[in-house]
Amino acid sequence: MGFNIIFSSTGVINFAQGEFCMFGGLFAFTLAVTAHLPLVLAVILAILITGLIGVLTERLIIHPLRHISMLVMIIATVGASILFKAVGRIFWPLESNPLPQFTSGQVRLLGITVSRQIFWVIGLTAIAVAAVYIFYNRTRTGIAMRACSINPQAASLMGINVQRMAMYAFGLSALLGALAGLVNAPSTNYHIGFYLGIKGFTAAVIGGLGNIFGAVLGGIALGLVEELVAGIISSGYRDLIAAVILITVLLVRPAGLLGKRDVVKV
Amino acid sequence: MLEIRNLSAFYGRVEALRALDMDVLSGSITTIIGANGAGKSTLLRAISGLIPTRYGSICFFGKDITNLHADQIVGLGISQVPEGRQVFGPLTVLENLKLGAFKRARKTPASEIESDLDKVYALFPLLKDRAGQAAGTLSGGEQQMLAIGRALMAKPRLLLLDEPSMGLAPKVIQEIFAGLADLHREGLTILLVEQDAKIALKMSDYGYVLKTGKVALEDESCKLLENEQVQKIYLGA
Repeated sequence: MGFNIIFSSTGVINFAQGEFCMFGGLFAFTLAVTAHLPLVLAVILAILITGLIGVLTERLIIHPLRHISMLVMIIATVGASILFKAVGRIFWPLESNPLPQFTSGQVRLLGITVSRQIFWVIGLTAIAVAAVYIFYNRTRTGIAMRACSINPQAASLMGINVQRMAMYAFGLSALLGALAGLVNAPSTNYHIGFYLGIKGFTAAVIGGLGNIFGAVLGGIALGLVEELVAGIISSGYRDLIAAVILITVLLVRPAGLLGKRDVVKV
Repeated sequence: MLEIRNLSAFYGRVEALRALDMDVLSGSITTIIGANGAGKSTLLRAISGLIPTRYGSICFFGKDITNLHADQIVGLGISQVPEGRQVFGPLTVLENLKLGAFKRARKTPASEIESDLDKVYALFPLLKDRAGQAAGTLSGGEQQMLAIGRALMAKPRLLLLDEPSMGLAPKVIQEIFAGLADLHREGLTILLVEQDAKIALKMSDYGYVLKTGKVALEDESCKLLENEQVQKIYLGA
């Protein structure tokens, strides 16, 4: 979803999205484990700090390049990704920075044992998706951001500050990335952003780039296929699946499963 | 109201406006006519801050607005109905209209915006019937009405229109220009760019003829209508 929020508002594919997930996990670890803050407070602060990093990324890296070219901005996000990873390595050098599970333990459900954390993952994802949906359909700023993605020039004639909306898009994506990172990663390290980034990007591509809610379905589809392959063939192949699906979708149906065929942008 | 002095602007690498002077008087309808590529649209885009200008100045009520951002210019009271309407297709008619009031929505009570919405509906009643419909499903004429209504929602003091008649049937054009005449009677100042010189000169007070980015001719519209050159080149007489 984070990928698609930025893509639809600015046309930029943000390769640093995975690092937003990483920051979410790492900040939550530091605040909760090292600084001994209550978990809820640590999680909220980690999400907000990462959102701020998203805003700063847009202001300091993307904004100054806006007149040059889209490709340069996209390459700049790759640079940002490398930079963030390096920052992660300097400040969190450990291979594992485990965040305590929100509610520990496991439950048996329909004959399978699942960790309680999974309910947090599902619940918080549902809340986040609903919140983003309401934001984009019911609030003035959300509708203005949609207007910017439909036609930025007409949007600026409405008195909408298109650059500011791009900044909001980065902030919102970073918030969502941080949430995804800290809720999913029981143990975060500085190179996790890469894997989460690939998976998120694959989900976004499956759903159709620019289709914010398609990404949610894309993510569910990706997860199901990964688990099936892990169960049927071998769990060793799990991380390969995202890459295979990504390449296949790009070759066969570049606009995504839900996208229109004619809206392929490069 | 609007004073343009010695304005030059580029469209890509082409100098589209060259040392252009123009005045729009308060309460008037001023029109700009000229062939394709004469710089008419470029001029409106420069006034709205969509493209940077190279030299010269644009003043609105004595305030220099040259190279302000597009969204700031809307806030000062200049709204543009862009060429090709450019409504937000996937959004509803109502959402489009409300976006028109985006700039002032934070400081304006909701009741005032509702009453402005009613004024737009009174001008183009069709829009009220279609309020919940996606703007992209409207016909060309309806989209033009929506684009004008959307611009009015910003409560402009000066309305810029870029080729409002483009691609529309004569009956629809009449309807739209009747709406513009109503707005003018209520005191709105209008700067109209039109391909159809006849209809533009008939409804306006003052006209400029643009040729390769320069003002080739300017006069009261009724005099331009009688001008031999204008008749020959632009009115097809």
